Amino acid sequence: MNPTLIRNPGRRNAGPTPAAVAQGRRRRRRPGVGSGRRPWLGLLYLLPGIVLYAVVVIVPVGQGVWLSFFNWNGVTTATWAGLSNYTGFLRDPALRAAVEHTLYFIIFFSLLPIALGLLSAVLSSYKGIRGAGIFRAVIFMPQVVTPAVIAVVWQRIYEPDGPVNDLLRVVGLDSLARGWLGDFTWALPALGLAGTWAAFGLCMVMFVSSMQAIPQELFEAVRVDGAGPVREFFTVTLPNLRGPMSVVLALTMIGAIRLFDLVWLTTKGGPGTSTITPTVILYERAFANPEVGSAAAIGVVMTLVSLLIVLVIVKVAEGKAE
Amino acid sequence: MISRRERVMTYTLLAIVSIGVLFPLAWVLLDALSPSSTGAIDLTALHWSNFVTAWQQAGFSQYLKSSLIITGSVVVLGTAVAILSGYAFGVLSVIGEKLLFPLVLLGLMLPMEAFIVPLYYDFLSYHLTDTYQGIILAHLGMGVSFGAFWMRTAFRAVPGSLGEAARIDGANSWSQLWRVYLPVARPAVLTLVLLSFLWTWNDYFLALVLVSDPAHQPITLGLGAFSGRYLVQVNLLSAAAILVSLPVIVLSFVFQRQFIRGILSGSIKG
Repeated sequence: MNPTLIRNPGRRNAGPTPAAVAQGRRRRRRPGVGSGRRPWLGLLYLLPGIVLYAVVVIVPVGQGVWLSFFNWNGVTTATWAGLSNYTGFLRDPALRAAVEHTLYFIIFFSLLPIALGLLSAVLSSYKGIRGAGIFRAVIFMPQVVTPAVIAVVWQRIYEPDGPVNDLLRVVGLDSLARGWLGDFTWALPALGLAGTWAAFGLCMVMFVSSMQAIPQELFEAVRVDGAGPVREFFTVTLPNLRGPMSVVLALTMIGAIRLFDLVWLTTKGGPGTSTITPTVILYERAFANPEVGSAAAIGVVMTLVSLLIVLVIVKVAEGKAE
Repeated sequence: MISRRERVMTYTLLAIVSIGVLFPLAWVLLDALSPSSTGAIDLTALHWSNFVTAWQQAGFSQYLKSSLIITGSVVVLGTAVAILSGYAFGVLSVIGEKLLFPLVLLGLMLPMEAFIVPLYYDFLSYHLTDTYQGIILAHLGMGVSFGAFWMRTAFRAVPGSLGEAARIDGANSWSQLWRVYLPVARPAVLTLVLLSFLWTWNDYFLALVLVSDPAHQPITLGLGAFSGRYLVQVNLLSAAAILVSLPVIVLSFVFQRQFIRGILSGSIKG
């Protein structure tokens, strides 16, 4: 959650929780809490929750699958479309671009934040480093900034007369200065860096909390063997971070796939379609210029991809653990 | 222990990373205090009045009211629903639990895109778009999975013997919940309240889809509208952005420990 970043996590249902599911499964097999069991009464207590969940989530998920087989403009009668909303997927140039951008964004929203998160976690955990808590608090800060505000912040940074261009002019690279978010080539990496900035604090905090569980003797042992910080990292730290690594990977990858707020509030997917994402297309087709069936199909595919990612990561993490 | 050279390297790298994180935020803060509409930074003339001007020009009073109504209702009602559902799954057990619990867990993994399109058209036909009730309902429904899972874990950690003792004393399930389980699970409830506040306050997408009437939009959408109209007045836009993020930042400082623990376990344990 979020988160995300976490937010960004953003958000909220972006929080796939492989560990949670695995834990839930394991717990369920445990005998119930003895004398507390009163299943009919339990159903009564569950009623408000399950009704809300059904109305807002479960029923619409089903309707979404159903809608994806129709052509519908949101007003007149829908006509049966069969699988055409799916088969046209990669032939649709906008969607193709969006998928390519998503792969690109995974680097900036997932891989880079993990690398930077690892770096800051390791550095701030060295013994004898004073003020580690302050460094961590600073690095974690973007995590609590509202995503809509993050968009305003980065819009400002990349503006034609913003600090990035000021800096370029000061060092004499005037020719490179530009409105970064309005540039066909540079808008995508510019947004990507904003995403890295927003996400890596969460990665750091997760790694830190797991690193604290690694026995100190392991570090001391490799140091006695004469290992430097690099070998220490690869032989002790990294192998002990598989658990949080899988969670962070799932979380940030799904965040990248679902990217919307930052793009919508800065470039609206432009210039042209150079920063368009699947959720931006979904939004436009569902509400602005209705091709509801196609929007629903995008939703279904995004859901399947997200579930697949969680599944693969849980499987890999479980396999490694054995 | 690490060597002196390593230590210097470490401090240098940490400082670079921290400056990289702080710089954009600091820049916008200084922009917000700028006397000029281009946002040119002038440390000799800090215009604190920009915050007041931005507040008025962005019409934040109305947006803030909407945000408070939406977030307040979602936090209160959502926490209540989470407590009831968590108590059902964690203590009482539920008829059909083998089917219902995995179904609820599934919600933790479903992206909003899975249901947002039909949800909008459903709400349109129930006349729930552009209303507080609609957006509150949507947030509540989406929060059930996490809330139920979270409170179930918390209640399972309460020793069963405590509930049993209360039962022998003649307490029914309702007063067991209030007198035994809730007091013990209070830290978990506080974390849930904080997370729920953070998620609801920060939401942009759900409100963008479900609420197009400015009179019912939360403050995140107000900021979006303001930035669309006022790109030329950089100092006011920056001031508005800071005002929007202020409540969450203040809360996160006050409850720093619970916040970090919540965000951590919110994504690890579920």
